[in-house]
Amino acid sequence: MHIPDAFIPIWQGAIYWIIALIFIALALRWAKNELNEEKLPLVAVLAAAIFAIQSFNLPVSMGTSGHLVGGALVAIILGSPFAAVFILTMVLIVQAVIFGDGGIVTLGANIINMGVIGGFVGFYTFKGLMAGTKSMPVSAFVAAWLACVIPALAASVELFLAGMFPLVEGMIAMGTYHALIGVIEGIITVAAIYLIMKARPDLVDQGVYSVKGAAPV
Amino acid sequence: MMDNKTFIVAGLIIAILIGFIAVFMASSDPDGLESTALVIQGEKSLTGVTPPDAEVQETLEDTFSYESLMPDYSLGEEWGALGGIIAIIVGTILAFLVVIGLAYAVKMGAKTNQ
Repeated sequence: MHIPDAFIPIWQGAIYWIIALIFIALALRWAKNELNEEKLPLVAVLAAAIFAIQSFNLPVSMGTSGHLVGGALVAIILGSPFAAVFILTMVLIVQAVIFGDGGIVTLGANIINMGVIGGFVGFYTFKGLMAGTKSMPVSAFVAAWLACVIPALAASVELFLAGMFPLVEGMIAMGTYHALIGVIEGIITVAAIYLIMKARPDLVDQGVYSVKGAAPV
Repeated sequence: MMDNKTFIVAGLIIAILIGFIAVFMASSDPDGLESTALVIQGEKSLTGVTPPDAEVQETLEDTFSYESLMPDYSLGEEWGALGGIIAIIVGTILAFLVVIGLAYAVKMGAKTNQ
């Protein structure tokens, strides 16, 4: 759901950039306080893996393909929505600047959708469902699915404001496609959490293991 | 449990392998956003297949345009799949280095402020 530069007028892109910068500043503060020598490798490897997985478009029927975004995955593993903002911002910058995937002016909007909205929806859905269901796979799957669908709906509102999409038709199409793509997001998120838990259980946030530990200490 | 070095090497190898497979196997269908644009511009139906010649029209004015170094994760036609593989490896390692670099930069900044 990377919005290209041709889809949003420059002045609107500038507004999204300003909002995005506020969250980027908060994400940098998170990195300053939370990242230590132990956690840094996980964070950097996650960024590399998310870049690679995002290049793998899987067919989802209806003439459409999609890939993992990873906002929910990062927020759940590292126990903060700002972790998602931090990592997704860096991945999106590399994609836009070097590979022309998403735009430069629209980068702010893309950071808001996939990093901020994806990270917050993913993290708090997971936290809430863990408290209710006590099941990591169920909570992570639903959290990741919503962290794909809600940002897609946000993007369709932004593109309505840009004069690119009609509101209802845009939301129906974006919602339909990303409801399918969200299944990919859910499956890969659950699988990746298992994989990282197996390789380095110490690096995974306590919230993944227990409901009590989900509260930030 | 894996030590940090093994974890980083294993993680990067898995990432690059995924990207390598993607060069050959990724779907060429448009993503959800492009599909939506095609539906709205009448090039495709909501649930139907995407015609091979379908293209999103750029209808807006006052937008920005930018030529990236490796558009569409490739080095152009003449490089073929090799260009795609190079692009994925460059991107994966760059994403890794940018995050490491920035994390060190904010940590260093934090130390000098104390």
